[in-house]
Amino acid sequence: MRKLLLSFTLLLTLGFVQAQTRITGSVKTSKGKSVANASISIKNSYDGTSSDITGHFDFTTTEKGKQVLLFSALNQDTDSLVLTIEGKPMNLSLLMNDAVNELETVKISAGTYTTGDAKKGAVLSSIDIATLAGSRADVIAAMQTLPGAQAAGSESGLFVRGGTAAETKTYFDGMLVKSPFNATVPDQASRGRLSPFLFKGTSFSSGGYSAQYGQALSSALVLESTDLPEKTTTGITLLSVGGGVDQNIRYKNSALSLGGYYYNLAPAYSVFKQQQNNFIKAPEQLGGSLQYKAKTSGSGMLKFYAAYGVSQLSLDKPDPNTAASPTYFSNDNSNIYINSTYKEYLNTAWKLEAGISYNRDQDKGLVAQDNYKRTDKLLEGRATLTHYYGHLSNLKFGAETFNTGRAESLNTLGRSYTDQLTAAFAETDIFLSSRVVARTGLRSEYSGYLKRYNLAPRLSLGYKTSAASQLSFAYGRFYQNPEDSYLIQKPLDYEQADHYILKYELNLADRLFRVEGYYKDYANLIKVNGTSLDNSGNGYARGFELFLKDKKTIPNGDFWISYSFLDSKRNFANYPMLATPAFAAKHTASMVAKQFIPSINSQIGATYVFASGRTYVNPNNPVYLGDKTKSSNNLSLSLSYLTHVCKQFTVLYVNASNIAGFKNIYGYQYSTDGLTRRAIQPSSRRDLIIGLIMTIGDDTFIR
Amino acid sequence: MKILTKTFSLALIVFSLNTSAQSAAGKFQMGMKKGLEMLGSAKGSDGFNSTANYFERVAQAEAKEWTPFYYAAYSNLIAGLTTTDKSVKDQYLDKALAEVEQANGLSPDNSEIYALKGYVQYIKLSVDPQARLAMMSASAASLAKAKALNPENPRIYLISGQNTFYTPEAFGGGKAKAKAILETAAAKFAIFKPSAPLEPNWGADQVKDLLAQIK
Repeated sequence: MRKLLLSFTLLLTLGFVQAQTRITGSVKTSKGKSVANASISIKNSYDGTSSDITGHFDFTTTEKGKQVLLFSALNQDTDSLVLTIEGKPMNLSLLMNDAVNELETVKISAGTYTTGDAKKGAVLSSIDIATLAGSRADVIAAMQTLPGAQAAGSESGLFVRGGTAAETKTYFDGMLVKSPFNATVPDQASRGRLSPFLFKGTSFSSGGYSAQYGQALSSALVLESTDLPEKTTTGITLLSVGGGVDQNIRYKNSALSLGGYYYNLAPAYSVFKQQQNNFIKAPEQLGGSLQYKAKTSGSGMLKFYAAYGVSQLSLDKPDPNTAASPTYFSNDNSNIYINSTYKEYLNTAWKLEAGISYNRDQDKGLVAQDNYKRTDKLLEGRATLTHYYGHLSNLKFGAETFNTGRAESLNTLGRSYTDQLTAAFAETDIFLSSRVVARTGLRSEYSGYLKRYNLAPRLSLGYKTSAASQLSFAYGRFYQNPEDSYLIQKPLDYEQADHYILKYELNLADRLFRVEGYYKDYANLIKVNGTSLDNSGNGYARGFELFLKDKKTIPNGDFWISYSFLDSKRNFANYPMLATPAFAAKHTASMVAKQFIPSINSQIGATYVFASGRTYVNPNNPVYLGDKTKSSNNLSLSLSYLTHVCKQFTVLYVNASNIAGFKNIYGYQYSTDGLTRRAIQPSSRRDLIIGLIMTIGDDTFIR
Repeated sequence: MKILTKTFSLALIVFSLNTSAQSAAGKFQMGMKKGLEMLGSAKGSDGFNSTANYFERVAQAEAKEWTPFYYAAYSNLIAGLTTTDKSVKDQYLDKALAEVEQANGLSPDNSEIYALKGYVQYIKLSVDPQARLAMMSASAASLAKAKALNPENPRIYLISGQNTFYTPEAFGGGKAKAKAILETAAAKFAIFKPSAPLEPNWGADQVKDLLAQIK
């Protein structure tokens, strides 16, 4: 009977007052730092606790036998441990590994400035680009405030680290854009054709870029288009120079966008005197676009973009040889651009990207009495496969083919050329740890017109020196076909450049500092000797750049400062000797500030750009390109006022360029006898644009 | 005698098994009650982090219940909102968003879950408004969905009113505009009864606080 009582008591204890085991211990990182606020728990039970500020924990559990202990914390990898709980108190020392944090992981970044998604270490957001004072929502103009790029001058395009504009290529979702600029006006910079609102991210690389991109000696501007718009909205833009309408229609898994615009610069030109050319017909542009985007599955996306635009202008261009009779010039331009891409994850380890694009740009008109016509074409097909392995590493390979060429005529004479250029590339990102990454790549091209192969190795290394700082190095060899204007004369060889880049970056939550030094070696550049062309040109560029962005110092304010030092000489084109080109100012600095003032619902922006003198050819100076202009200054201001018109969210903005009226000169054009010259200046001394952007159908105010 | 012992023991075992089956539901109720008490008395980011850890433990043990995920998300949201350490703010909020999605998986088309999602999205936006303006639409879309599912849920109006309260007038916010929405919230809170004891029943005090700040 005693026995019975005893077992009865035992059973009672087991059944009703479950035995508790006390578990204590501490959590530390593998480097010995205490982890506070870690969660420690027994799997499939409620038992557990959180570690205190010293990393210690203490809890009791009613579980018995083999159990899994889970532990997790912010910034740490989740881990587990199998325990055998037998009722005796347990003391545990838990170790956790630092989690690989996207922001703190080493990145491939030498030479590259990324904009867009702030999470991926972007330098500028899309809104930064759109609202930059002086940029007038032009992606290219915004990029000119970044280190490495020359300040805007009298030519279109981005001049990067001593390279010509033709050495910078623009890519739209990975596809090369052959004619990214509006029709060229003599001695004036043209705007980029692509609106910044089309893109969610921009990566501006001033050197050492990926093997995915070819046919660019100096720089790659990689634009990544937006995904599906959130809502159905209508946008209306009214400017002092024209206007546009666009309609986004959102379906469940797809969206259609239609847009149209019309610009006429005649009223603006009547107010702001044009110093470069005497316009007979100020530029007039008309165009439209269509976009369709569809989610083809949980991870698949199809994008289609098509745009068509026409423009017209005519002018008298002053000629220093015949001051009394300027040269007549007219231009009718039409541009078609179609881009279609498809992206899908085949499984968790493989991603497929494919695309096809077409660009046709036609200029025609009169130069003096001569009829000219020029048609540039590019049809591209591209496919890339990416394989993900390990924790972060990947292998990417693909191929692309370009059918490209130009046809031109002057009166009854005509000529043309077509090249079929095919490229294959492979590249791998290997993370040796979350602190060390190496990217090695190889690209090979064959041109049917040049009848030549090339092989371009690329290498990029990153080493994380602390959680916030990184040291990077990049090397690459880059090839590109000579410009169309040369190739149409005869097939030549590839032009070539080697880049060596060393960069240090300190990236704090609201501040970013970068310093980068580089050396660039050019070979096989095109030389013009009288009427003969060959690849005997060469050159170099070296320099360093500083960049500082700060969102912290001024409340509601944001500013960045760029400085570039450039020492470059080249012997190419019609240069008789090694000389510093006009597009290689020694010192370039820009300061951009933005301040939101809540009390007046407005954002004020200011952009100041300084460039030291540019060289120019003076036939009276025996030294070629031996003369320099004075340095140039430009201060632009913008004001955006956020309000409602008819209950619809509206932004009213004013953008004034060169508000102080600095008299900037980019160079001089001499008469053949060297006795008279004409200054090349900005198209107008000052400029002002007033605009109104209205969004209908989105009561959350943001598109 | 032996037989008696055996039968007795067997009976006891059956009895205790029976109670444990019965108590499974009770254990969950009790566990959640304890968690809600912790939540009620939590102070500071660390306090809400502990509460979040607690609800996460309950959530992983109770595979079919949405409320532990909901309260874990809510606790992480408040931990993220109150922390002064900028480097972990987004991590708390990202955890909250992930837990909202898990709750949504267990209880689809739940007005409460969409309302909380709209709250988290707005706080995500407020971490870096310039770069994350797109989250404003996302937050509004979640709240609209919550409203379509149950227009009587007072937390929708609290969150929407609160978002409006903290949004600059230039972006369509402001105190004046928030007032009307918060008054609707107060009216809805006055008649609101949760359909089950563990379901969300927070926010009435916040409405009063915000309205007091407007007056």
